[in-house]
Amino acid sequence: MAKISSKRSLISRLKDKLPIVVISFFSVILFIAIYFKGGDSQVLNTIITGGMWALLAVGLALVFGVMNIPHFAHGESFMIGAYVAYFTFTPMQEYLYTHPSEFLSMMAPLGAIFAAGIAGAILGVLIEKLIFSPLRRRTKKDWIMNAFLLTVGISFVLSNGTNLVLGPNFRGISRYWDVQAVQIGEAYMSFDRLAAFAISMILIGLLWFFLRYTRVGRAIRAVSQDETGAMLVGINLNFIQTLTFSLATAMASISGASLLFLFQAYPTVGGTPLYYAWYVVMMAGLGNVAGAIIGGFIVALLQTATQLFVAVSWTTVLPTAVMILVLLIAPSGLFGSEVKGVQEQ
Amino acid sequence: MLELNNINAGYDFLQVLWDVSFHIDEGEMVALIGPNGAGKSTSLRTIAGLITPISGEVLFHNKVINNELAHMISRMGISYISEKLNLFTGMSVQENLLLGAYAIRDRDVQLETLAYIFSLFPRLEERKDQLAGTMSGGERKMLAIARGMMSKPQLMLVDEPSLGLQPNLTSDVFSALRQLRDRGVTVLIVEQNVNATLSFTDRAYVLEQGKIVMEGPSKEIKANKHVRNAYLGI
Repeated sequence: MAKISSKRSLISRLKDKLPIVVISFFSVILFIAIYFKGGDSQVLNTIITGGMWALLAVGLALVFGVMNIPHFAHGESFMIGAYVAYFTFTPMQEYLYTHPSEFLSMMAPLGAIFAAGIAGAILGVLIEKLIFSPLRRRTKKDWIMNAFLLTVGISFVLSNGTNLVLGPNFRGISRYWDVQAVQIGEAYMSFDRLAAFAISMILIGLLWFFLRYTRVGRAIRAVSQDETGAMLVGINLNFIQTLTFSLATAMASISGASLLFLFQAYPTVGGTPLYYAWYVVMMAGLGNVAGAIIGGFIVALLQTATQLFVAVSWTTVLPTAVMILVLLIAPSGLFGSEVKGVQEQ
Repeated sequence: MLELNNINAGYDFLQVLWDVSFHIDEGEMVALIGPNGAGKSTSLRTIAGLITPISGEVLFHNKVINNELAHMISRMGISYISEKLNLFTGMSVQENLLLGAYAIRDRDVQLETLAYIFSLFPRLEERKDQLAGTMSGGERKMLAIARGMMSKPQLMLVDEPSLGLQPNLTSDVFSALRQLRDRGVTVLIVEQNVNATLSFTDRAYVLEQGKIVMEGPSKEIKANKHVRNAYLGI
């Protein structure tokens, strides 16, 4: 008897892990193929793009996991971050033309990105307190649908509001750091790209540490697993929800700011990053922060592979197709079942 | 210590509790018994702040608490162990316990309480790195009670501690609760396992169709003819 049951559980366990096994197998093959076709530069490109998507997707996963909001205004946080960085960096740059300083020109970009993070955090608190908090008090049913529609509304208001105030012009910079490209292997990478990657990795690492080992971080995870249980142990839901939303918005703003050299600031710049972040989150499993990190790299891998082996214009098609395939096999995403534990209740 | 005065409460349009009043004194172990759907859990949820009563008041240490949010009530020293347990199933046993002490900011006090809990439930220490969701029913119930104790509550509300447990585990859970009372924690138990509950508690209230129909020392309730007929099947 015992033997039969253990055998069955082994098979069902393998079945649960099957999508992960298949995906990691194909990922390794793709990675090797990219290396042989594109060389070091394409491999680096994949990793750096992956870091970008991961940072955005982590915010989405966090907001969905803790607050049950399918956040479709995440791209607008990216856009606001890009604008804030532009409007803080260009004056600093002008000042540095007249007063050259080695140290300040290294620090100015960091200052601009930091300012974007602060602005994002404030924007997050405002949106949460003014829009979602009242909605939460009034909604009893259909919260997810209501919240989803609201985020779409917020997205329209923010991008069109920006269009109204600042106009549809593109505002960009050619680069943050006036330094030579760095050689890695046979490839040359601009310092800006490496810095953007480093920033996203540091932020993800900090977030990971925060969620894992601090009292408030643990409370955030607790709320995502059981809201009632969280209240019963004395966790203030409103505080945790505002904090989470503000963190996610700040992270999106920071990635918008640190990628200003790549994505110029204009009212609808958030669209592309938003869609990619959603590919990642849907494929990895909604609300799964760790899955979002891995998913970010998988999507980047698919993108680079498509660009290399198919055509650049197919870049969005293939990741979407793979996402649909994954959802057909594993409806809750690659890592979907692991978030909430083995058994519910 | 805790007093409910003429509480009317329910869910949306369905009223469950009708003019319910009872009180618990410091250091007592009180049972609330009654059939399914009588409003036992609703009473506990009202005290814990998960439901706001339609009318009436809940007093804790002579302070009105029925308008406070659930997390504030928990921080005042009332710990509610719900029927569903509401564990954080994707987290380890230790993390669940540390979250139980969320309101205590002092890390040393947290660890001290954790050590005490582990001495009380050695089983939980053996499994401290296991995910809460992968444990057996009895262990989960134990974990829920232990998590409720981590906040050093003055009053514990325990909903159906014996539900779904095999008999020897039931008595384990009851003796854990008993130990709690011996340490000066006041306990209110809601149970369907009437016989065992009445032999463990000091006083009892009988709740039927949302109204308190009987109250008294557990021994007297146990000897009562109506209770013997309806609940004990004797």
